Amino acid sequence: MTVLANFDWSYIWEHRDELRHGLRLTLEISAIGIAGAFAIGLTLGAARAHRIPVISQLAGIYVELIRNTPILVQIFLLFFGLPRLSEHLKFEPFTYAWLAVMIWGGAFNTENFRAGFEAVPARYHEAALALGFSRIRAFLNITLPIGFRISLPSTINTYVSVMKNTALLTAVAIPELTNTALDLLSTDFRTWEMLFVLAATYLALVWALSGLIRLLERRLALPEST
Amino acid sequence: MLDRLPHWAEPVADYILHTGVKNTLIIAGTSVFLSLVVGVLLGTLLTIKFVPIRAAIRSYIEIWRGLPIIVTIFILFFGLPTLADELHIEALRLSEIKAAILGLSLWGSAQIAEATRGAVQSIPREQHEASAALGFGWVGRHVNVILPQALRRLLPPLVSLSVNVIQNSTLAQILGVPEILETAERGTERLSIPTVDPVTLEVEGGVDNHAFEIYGAVFVLFFLISFPLTRLAAFLERRLVV
Repeated sequence: MTVLANFDWSYIWEHRDELRHGLRLTLEISAIGIAGAFAIGLTLGAARAHRIPVISQLAGIYVELIRNTPILVQIFLLFFGLPRLSEHLKFEPFTYAWLAVMIWGGAFNTENFRAGFEAVPARYHEAALALGFSRIRAFLNITLPIGFRISLPSTINTYVSVMKNTALLTAVAIPELTNTALDLLSTDFRTWEMLFVLAATYLALVWALSGLIRLLERRLALPEST
Repeated sequence: MLDRLPHWAEPVADYILHTGVKNTLIIAGTSVFLSLVVGVLLGTLLTIKFVPIRAAIRSYIEIWRGLPIIVTIFILFFGLPTLADELHIEALRLSEIKAAILGLSLWGSAQIAEATRGAVQSIPREQHEASAALGFGWVGRHVNVILPQALRRLLPPLVSLSVNVIQNSTLAQILGVPEILETAERGTERLSIPTVDPVTLEVEGGVDNHAFEIYGAVFVLFFLISFPLTRLAAFLERRLVV
């Protein structure tokens, strides 16, 4: 196979700086997106599980809107639609980038955390109240630590998806990893070198994170559920 | 209904609803069909004990589920044509729409394979044994006894997959396939070019490309397609639990 014989490792090495820069942007956007998705999911998930009026309904609408529309359409709406709406909504592309993946991840995480908190047996919560815990204390000391562990596998799956979704930002020319590799591909036509870099990097990241899920599942599994 | 819209919107809406929706449905429909056929086959094979086959299917699932779908589509669209020269197979020179459909199908079939494995394994062992006792071979046993029962359990994941595939069909936009998002994008682009009326010499357009309204409408359109389907998936899931 001449394709394999022509595979040029040194081409990847020569362009390591550009690629590393792209990977860094991918990781930065992912990290901010994941942290935001965690905060949104935890807050709104708790509000949903405890049926806090108004916030719970609004969170429900947010979740349904985001889960039932393509993330690429959300990205386009943010990048091209929002700046048209108002001068105050003009941000740097980087800001829109992490906002897009964060809003998406937050919606999925709200559901994950809601399910986790609702899976905590009601008698634990009742017992805490009977012991004189306030509702907030009962949540922080009982529901949160247990529900968090129950929802851990599904939330990590969402974080993996958030990371994978950053590849879509190439559509709006954010110079993350996919965009950088495609740029190089279209200038030098070292097709397989660049496709290899993309596939290997994403698979390594995704497999490392899903390996982490399995590890955490075993270490943090609740005693009674094993 | 379309003539109630402001004058700039009519051609945009017309293009999205006629060309865009049609292509989105072609991409999504073909991908769901291919995912189902390949996924059920691979998922069933995943339950047999022969290790090399299982390992091969496992890696298929892990790779296509692990990669971002857009990267899979790029591999098919940019990678395969280089092999076409080498192997003299012109069919490897995929069109944009075919690359998108295949990319979505690789991902979708991996999802269905995983769901099928679970569904097949959830059928009680007695069913296997009874059909074997009746003289069915492995294929006859699965086609006539196991899969008809497993497919019922596969219905909710299949509906959720369809929702996901419809949403991810927008990835074809990145290759320029005129599906819903791409037709909308072309609409905004057309509106951002000023046009001069040949009679009155009035300059029109170019000031506002109406990106918010157009992408907002696309957002609503996808919501209207997806929401009933997610409700259906949730309903099927509840009904099957009981």
